[in-house]
Amino acid sequence: MDNDHEAYILLLLSDSNLPTGSFVASAGLESYVTHGFFSSASPSSTSSTADKMGYTVNFLRDSLSTYARSALPFVLDAHRAVEDALRDANASTGNAMDCAMTRVRELDELYETMTLNHIARRASRTQGVALLTLFSKGFVKPRLSQHLEASADSSADIRAASLMNRLKLLVRREETHGHLPICWGVLTAALGLSAERSQYLHLFLQARSLLSSSVRLNTIGPYAAQQLLLHAVRPLVDAEMSRCKHLGTGHTEATDGAGEDMSDEDVVRGPAMTWPLGEILAARHDLQHSRIFNS
Amino acid sequence: MAPSKLEQGHGRVVLHNDGNANVFSEMSATYPLKLLSPQLPSPDVSVVYMLSYGGGLVGGDRVQLNVEVYDGARLALLSQGSTKVFKARPGQRLSTRSKLHSVTTQRLTVRVAPESALFLLPDPVTCFRAAKYEQVQTLHLCKDSSAVLLDWITSGRKSLGEEWAFSQYFSLNEVWIEGKRVARDAMLLEERDVLSGPLTPRTLAESLAPYSCYATLIMYGPLLEDTMRHLTAAYGAITVFKQHAPPPLLWSLSPICEGRGCVVRLAAKETEHVKNWIGSALKQLESILGVDVYRRAFS
Repeated sequence: MDNDHEAYILLLLSDSNLPTGSFVASAGLESYVTHGFFSSASPSSTSSTADKMGYTVNFLRDSLSTYARSALPFVLDAHRAVEDALRDANASTGNAMDCAMTRVRELDELYETMTLNHIARRASRTQGVALLTLFSKGFVKPRLSQHLEASADSSADIRAASLMNRLKLLVRREETHGHLPICWGVLTAALGLSAERSQYLHLFLQARSLLSSSVRLNTIGPYAAQQLLLHAVRPLVDAEMSRCKHLGTGHTEATDGAGEDMSDEDVVRGPAMTWPLGEILAARHDLQHSRIFNS
Repeated sequence: MAPSKLEQGHGRVVLHNDGNANVFSEMSATYPLKLLSPQLPSPDVSVVYMLSYGGGLVGGDRVQLNVEVYDGARLALLSQGSTKVFKARPGQRLSTRSKLHSVTTQRLTVRVAPESALFLLPDPVTCFRAAKYEQVQTLHLCKDSSAVLLDWITSGRKSLGEEWAFSQYFSLNEVWIEGKRVARDAMLLEERDVLSGPLTPRTLAESLAPYSCYATLIMYGPLLEDTMRHLTAAYGAITVFKQHAPPPLLWSLSPICEGRGCVVRLAAKETEHVKNWIGSALKQLESILGVDVYRRAFS
């Protein structure tokens, strides 16, 4: 895939108006604020703007860190599975596509069993399915015979579209869950984005979505959010990328016999949650007396 | 009692019930693991203490315990005092072999037959400064087996000023039912490397503050139905209004397996607080395991 194409896809996917459902998700931030984690140690003083920016960055760092460690391996493996299938232009293409779908379903199931917080599970499914809808409604080539040549589709494009359709159908039939990191990996591979760009953009969008939640919760203002996006999010995403971009799920048919047969290194290198406090707070989302987000 | 030779640090427990009472058809362990089963008044409830010599594990220790429970027997696995994990001995790193093994590991694999039950209720793990610890616990259950798995960790020796000062703690809990994995709870707590770039380091202690004890409680099966119903109702009745400081204890509950099981997570400023909370949440174990076993686990 050439650079211009990749750059253009990046522009499209980073559009904040893209209907991905992320605007109703705060990934536990709303609950974090409600539970008093935005208050300074001294009870007398009310938090200043700088304090609030500080608390926001606390949350951003811990939240992004645990998300990167739990979700990036799934983005990578789902992306790889689809990329491999699309690259394979041989006669056995049908077979390659079946393999890719099987793999994607395995990953989706593993993510479901690893996401033990029901609120996060719900939010992840909603956003994953939104991505599939986005592809089928927003990214397929329109029928415009006066302007676009119908024959210009490459066979890879056609295969990508059919793969996305199959996944969407499986989710609709409730044969798979449609979790966000898996759907993101599949979508970005179908659009021809490299695995690394895909992971980087996924983390960036996650961080930006947290900051926009922050603005809607009125904990920081829109200018402060921009400041953080430029000065804090970039080093943060870079750091998490260098920690997690090479990690896979470690999940293949061969290793499916449970952790007991795996070596120590294999076990620790797999996806893991790193912030138990965030898990508890996120799972308590629905207990809040008033709330504006779904997660 | 020990038909097959066990590797160092390995242990094996097989519990049957002959129709009248529980019978250990096997119970053996090798250094540094030691197993102890006290006499109990109730015939179909057994307790096994998992002990390590000297009350702690040193860097590089590897313990592996396999447990099987059959015939409707009920088994509680307990420890005596918290599992203390020391850092790797200096000098041990000289040899390549022990360098590979500088992580202290504990693995527990349990198989629970239909209508049988396993209650894993150890004291918390306490990792000392610079310790590296890894734990893998796998439960293989049948549809109508019951199980409770408690996995908890404290921030260290507070009296020595240790607050989340270990170097790595990794815990993996898996629940399989009829050969299908239904839950994989992987948690990694580690001090992060110092980053290049403008961000100042954020320590593990900062991320986990203000709490110094975290617990995960996984429950499944018919024996736990009342307990889960009670907890789910209590959880649903909580209404959180805007708070001005983090509360001393926080807990959450998420159902798994269409409500036949659940995952409870807790955080509290004091370990004692967590212990009391769990003790009262699992109060029903008094009737399932008997008052004596309940007291052994929670007092």
